[in-house]
Amino acid sequence: MNSVPDLLLDLFPLIWSGVVTGCLYALGALGLVMIFKSSRVVNFSHGNVAGLAAFLIYGFSSGVLLSLSWGVAVLLAVVAVVAVAFLSYAIIAPIMAESDLTATITTLGIGLIAQGVTLLVFGADIVPLDLPLPRFSATTLGLRITGYDLTVLTVAVVTIVGLFLIIDYSKLGVAFRAISANPVAAEICGLNLRSVHLFAWIVSAVLGVVGALLIVPTTFLSATTVATFMLQAFAAAVLGGFASLPGALVGGILIGILMNLFTFYVSPEFTNTFLLIVILTALNIFPNGIFAKAGGNRV
Amino acid sequence: MTNLLSVKNLSVFYGASAQAVENVSFDVEPGKVTALLGANGAGKSSIMKAVAGLISAKGDIVYDGLSIGELPIRERVRRGIVYVPERREIVGELSVRENLVLGGYQVSTGERRRRMDTVLELFPEIANKVDGGAWRLSGGEQQMLAIGRGLMSGPRLLLLDEPSLGLAPLLIRRVFERLAAIRGEGDLAIVLVEQNLRMTMRLCDDLHFLRSGRIVGRRRAEELKDEAARQQAIDAYLGASETEVVTEHA
Repeated sequence: MNSVPDLLLDLFPLIWSGVVTGCLYALGALGLVMIFKSSRVVNFSHGNVAGLAAFLIYGFSSGVLLSLSWGVAVLLAVVAVVAVAFLSYAIIAPIMAESDLTATITTLGIGLIAQGVTLLVFGADIVPLDLPLPRFSATTLGLRITGYDLTVLTVAVVTIVGLFLIIDYSKLGVAFRAISANPVAAEICGLNLRSVHLFAWIVSAVLGVVGALLIVPTTFLSATTVATFMLQAFAAAVLGGFASLPGALVGGILIGILMNLFTFYVSPEFTNTFLLIVILTALNIFPNGIFAKAGGNRV
Repeated sequence: MTNLLSVKNLSVFYGASAQAVENVSFDVEPGKVTALLGANGAGKSSIMKAVAGLISAKGDIVYDGLSIGELPIRERVRRGIVYVPERREIVGELSVRENLVLGGYQVSTGERRRRMDTVLELFPEIANKVDGGAWRLSGGEQQMLAIGRGLMSGPRLLLLDEPSLGLAPLLIRRVFERLAAIRGEGDLAIVLVEQNLRMTMRLCDDLHFLRSGRIVGRRRAEELKDEAARQQAIDAYLGASETEVVTEHA
């Protein structure tokens, strides 16, 4: 049995790798929250569409579909996913006007179609998708930091900071926040609600591709890999309050760390059970998520 | 003078049978202030929402020579029709400045900055809170922000729905003073829905009295200059039960 100092010695590397994985959960969660905030729809197709994108990159770069360079393959996959986001929103927008719940259920159908297309084109086998990441590792203060870790952190930080800057400081960001908080006010000011919804759907799709691409090197690529990863992202979004972008970020990192700690110290077999317990406990203590806003309206 | 707005035989239904407005017709000239007066449920706000495009209606709404009944809200805003709703619909989660940006969303950056300066000059109460959260504003300040936000797009027709609602008498006076200042500039036409007859009188050129979704009387402001004429209009068109409502803020 390990002594207490040994257990603590393992703690910091576990937290570090939890933060790295958590950043990816956060990217997925941010995509879910972007759509929910603007459209009031929980997008259950997020994982399957991102999974399709990962397979498209594999197909475009491996010779299965085309033999393109990795960068071009990624670009084409992003274009494809943006097209899917357009199409998804075109299907869902008229339904949203009638019922948010029906629109949410429709996303399940879109997800199943995306998964079906993936299976049809690429089959059910596990395939390799090696990304051209810098392969090095260094040990600092007992932490083993790899090229993959730094790539994930850099991409996640740049993406998240960029997104937050757009949301907080651009005119489009003002429109996004206005529509999220008060769609009637946005409408009477002459905003095109559908354009802002579409912005959220496209950003979400791109975030999904980035998250999917970066998670694949830690595991393998199958028709369900990314959808499973998005379940953790979904948990992160719930923990963060589902309507809070900072909440999604913090929720993602928390889920990453907690799952790592549980897997190492308790059992890797029950991590999903543990995840559900964490969510239920957190929601009991913070019913509106850990980032629920105080404040309100004066009259 | 050519009318900026002509509402002809407007009817508004909620559901299959509930009729809120019945065959209402009125005109608004550029630079004039037209008031729609009536008690709660008279159909005033429904008319405003129909002109703004928030609800569908039967009849014809002609703005600047164009029938706009089928135009989406954003297109009406682009053409200069701006609605300031009775509940103000301020976005509390945004700052005062961001609310104003929202109001001027369709105009260029330079024009938006220029208009924001003008609005903040007109409403100094919100100028020193411009970077604070809009939810922190008092009711009167929120009303000023709502009107200011409406002015940001450079409207030609401002639809003001009960700007005095829920405000203390002193604040109502301030809001109406600012409206008087706005009406003095250019050809901006205002349609004002109010229950406050005395304040409305000071601002309006034409008054239309509504009851149960219909226009039951019309007066020019100069016809209601003395107290007896005002009281007569209230008794004739709004009924004794509404008297208290329309004069309570006076």
